[in-house]
Amino acid sequence: MRLTQQALEQASAVGANADESPELKLAEAKFARAKSSMADQSYKNARMRFEQAELDARLAEAQVLTRKSQEQLNVLNARITRLRKQLQLGEAQ
Amino acid sequence: MSPMIRGLSCAVLLGTAVLGGCATHPDSEQALQQASNDFQQVKEDANVLRFAPKDVIRAGESLARADRLSSYWGSGADVVHYAYLSQRYSAIAREHTEQALNQERGVKLELERQRLQLALRENKLISVQQQGKWLEEQIASLATTQTDRGLVMTLGDVLFDTGEAELKNSANRTVLKIVQFLQLNPKRVVRIEGYADNTGGERENLKLSRDRAQSVADVLVDLGIDEKRIQVEGYGDQYPVEANASERGRAQNRRVEIVFSDEKGQLGAAR
Repeated sequence: MRLTQQALEQASAVGANADESPELKLAEAKFARAKSSMADQSYKNARMRFEQAELDARLAEAQVLTRKSQEQLNVLNARITRLRKQLQLGEAQ
Repeated sequence: MSPMIRGLSCAVLLGTAVLGGCATHPDSEQALQQASNDFQQVKEDANVLRFAPKDVIRAGESLARADRLSSYWGSGADVVHYAYLSQRYSAIAREHTEQALNQERGVKLELERQRLQLALRENKLISVQQQGKWLEEQIASLATTQTDRGLVMTLGDVLFDTGEAELKNSANRTVLKIVQFLQLNPKRVVRIEGYADNTGGERENLKLSRDRAQSVADVLVDLGIDEKRIQVEGYGDQYPVEANASERGRAQNRRVEIVFSDEKGQLGAAR
C-alpha cells in the first residue's frame, strides 16, 4: 500500500495527471478499490489491486518522463535546424 | 512453455473434473500469451537489456509465476494478475529504454548544437570584421536611449525585408554587440518588443511584430544567451513613434525595440 502510494505520488510529481494518462487513471481507480477491499478484509484482492496500481502508476510516470525527454530532443533539434539555417544564410551573403 | 501442452493438460483435467474450472480458461490463456509476447520482444532488444535489465528480469519473474500458476486449478485470476504485472514491467522497460536512448541522443545533439553555435559566432565575427567597422563599433556605444522604460535600443526597419520576420545579416554587428553586452552583464535581462506600422490588418501586424521580435530573440539564444533572460512581446501598430501619414513615419514605426533591465535584472513593466 505504501509502495503504491509512493508510486502514485511520484507519477504526480513528474506531472502525470489522470485526465491525460489512462494508466494513472487506472492506478488511482485500483488504489481506491484496493483500499475498500482492505476494509472488507478481502486481503488477497487488495494485494493484487495494490500491486497492479503500483505498476500502472510507474508506467504512467515513465511515459511522462519519456515524453519529456522527447520534447527536449525536439527543442534541441529545432535549435540545430535554426543554427544550420543561419549558417547557410551567412554563407550566402 | 508451450500453450499446446498446457491446453492438452487442461483438456485431460476437464475430462476428469467436469465442473472444476480449469486454470487455462480463455482469459488467462490469452493474458499469458500476450505477456509472453511482450516479454519476448523486450528480451530480444539489445537496448532494453542494456538500459533496463531490472525491469526485464521482473517481467520475466512475473511471467514465470503466471506460467507456473496456470497449471493449477482455479488460479485463473492469479494467472491474469501476474501476466498483467509482467506486461507492465515489459512496458516500463521499454519506456526506460526510450528515456535512456533519448538521453544519449540529447548528449550528441547538444554537442552538435555547441559546435554550430561556435561556428555561427565565428561566422558573424568574420562577417563583421569584413565590414571593416569593428574597431569603430567597439568605440561607438550601443545605440541606446534612456527612456522611462529603461535602456532601450531600437533595431530599425532596414534590418528586415518587407513583410518578413527573418533578421537580415546586416544586423549581425548589432546583434553581436547585444550578445557581448549581455555576456558582460550576466544579471541583465531583456524584453524584445516588436512594432509595426498601421498598413495591413491588425492581426497580421500583431503577428509580424511578434515574429520579428521572436526572430531577434532566436538569434540571441542561438548565440548563447539563455532564453530565460529574454521576454518577447508583439505590439502590432500600437505605440507609434511617428505619425503613420508618411512613408518615413511608417518606416520609423516598423521596428524592434530591445528594453534592457538594470544591473540587477529588474525590468520595467511591459506596456
